[in-house]
Amino acid sequence: MSKLSTLSEAVASIPSGSHLALSGFAITRCVMAFARELIRQGIHGLTVSQCVGAMDADLLVGAGAVERIIYGGGSLDRFGRLACVNRGIETGTLIADEYSSLSVTFRYLAGSLGLPFMPIRSLRGSDLMAQLRERSSSDLASVVDPFSGEQWPVLKPLLPDVAVVQVQVADAEGNAWIQGPRWDNTEQVRASQRAIVIAERVVSNEVIRQNPERTVIPGLFVSHVVELPYGAHPTSVYQAYDYDAGQIEAYVEATRTPQALQAYLDRTVYSVSDHWEYLERMGGLKRLSGLQADPIRGY
Amino acid sequence: MKLDYTHSELMAVAGARELQDRQIVAVGLGLPVVASFLAKQTHAPNMTILFELGVIDPQPVDCGVGLADPRVWYRANVFSSFVDILGAVLHRGRVDVGFLGGLEVDQFGNLNTTLLGDPQGKFRHMIGSGGANDIASCAQRTIIIMRHEERKLKQAISFITSPGYIRGGDSRAQTGLRGGPGRVITDKAIFGFHPESKQMMLVSIHPGNTLEDVLGTMGFAPLVPLQVPFTEPPDGEQLRLIREVIDPQRMYMG
Repeated sequence: MSKLSTLSEAVASIPSGSHLALSGFAITRCVMAFARELIRQGIHGLTVSQCVGAMDADLLVGAGAVERIIYGGGSLDRFGRLACVNRGIETGTLIADEYSSLSVTFRYLAGSLGLPFMPIRSLRGSDLMAQLRERSSSDLASVVDPFSGEQWPVLKPLLPDVAVVQVQVADAEGNAWIQGPRWDNTEQVRASQRAIVIAERVVSNEVIRQNPERTVIPGLFVSHVVELPYGAHPTSVYQAYDYDAGQIEAYVEATRTPQALQAYLDRTVYSVSDHWEYLERMGGLKRLSGLQADPIRGY
Repeated sequence: MKLDYTHSELMAVAGARELQDRQIVAVGLGLPVVASFLAKQTHAPNMTILFELGVIDPQPVDCGVGLADPRVWYRANVFSSFVDILGAVLHRGRVDVGFLGGLEVDQFGNLNTTLLGDPQGKFRHMIGSGGANDIASCAQRTIIIMRHEERKLKQAISFITSPGYIRGGDSRAQTGLRGGPGRVITDKAIFGFHPESKQMMLVSIHPGNTLEDVLGTMGFAPLVPLQVPFTEPPDGEQLRLIREVIDPQRMYMG
């Protein structure tokens, strides 16, 4: 069954207040076009989760679409910090459940396997644990290992409404390939009620069937497939294109003040009708072809 | 005293000397990358380098802006996931050494990367944990690399993101954690930890510094043995590898 949709249709399937798991890691494979459309459609009150906070989550927080973030800390690598997330935490306008990378991963993993909870060695003796106990005690508890008698911290499964994942290749049913490392993405998809796949390229089902071992997201988890070249711009997609350093720097600059951020959102989100107009505004084919990845190096 | 190497180069070399052949090492970007690649290209050719997001043993030819930069994934043996690297390798107990950096460290090697200020009052939120808490909790041994400044080496840190020896003594073992920090490498000295009290203890002073330089720029008093040697300086081949092969654009070495 074809699940091909426009970006606008896929975004419109998300009610305000949903919990979204986002596929970005710092400045790579972020669901940027999706985030921009979500903001344009005025969807708000979201919970977003990811193991390492990334540019997609930061933009959504900056636009006021997010009520709560569940994450393991994060940054834009050398480009800077997650200024919007940080400001939200500092001013108390964003609820943040802050974990480590592995503890968020284990919450997705427990969710993906239908387990009631997941024990973890991490978090013990840290203020992360103290803070989580204080703020969201129902997501963290401890049990006695029935075999050894040892006390273990246990995490509640994380069950997002929708995982939104940027991939390189998918077919119309949503069978998808992720090239390069996958961080938490395959667990996010499996823990969520459903997944929206944003693919750089949609291929025929025959292509998938030639190399099914590459299919890390089975179509059965997927509700929508959106074909969207440069959907992660200005972040990178391994084997497709490099990050656009100038545009990430422009974002970092814009996040320094709420006024500059508003101007940035006007320029890149509100005043553009769709992804294609956004790409034109970013320099169009001329600029974007300069970002194309070398097939050996992958960047 | 005029040195023919930089503080960063000495720190990277000191980090490399802590690594042994055949070890499995979890690395974050910056100085630890230089230290690990240097060890691998000198005395530890069979070492395995891990990046938390799912990369094993890359051989990059270009420097990257962070772990998210595909430049640092180049020629890896494995592309996998957090469950694979932080789960099946780290949580399972297979990581020998983890490198950690931080905003603040205390005398027991507890690290803060989360916030500066008062967590209940006014503070600035920074980066948070990423895999750092997991590495600090699950690696057999961690090596902390940071700048030697009074505002970084503190009696009381704002937030414990990644546990060291917690309150000292056996408090770490009592929470069920193995391992712990083995070394703290700064730009003035190298520290270890007292086997029982787990207090930070001076191991060596970098050439060009006095004991007063080291102690006068710290927020707490480390244990100081009667004899403190100077840190062995980098050799010519180590400096050549850092400057010509590992970080020719000086992206990591500042």
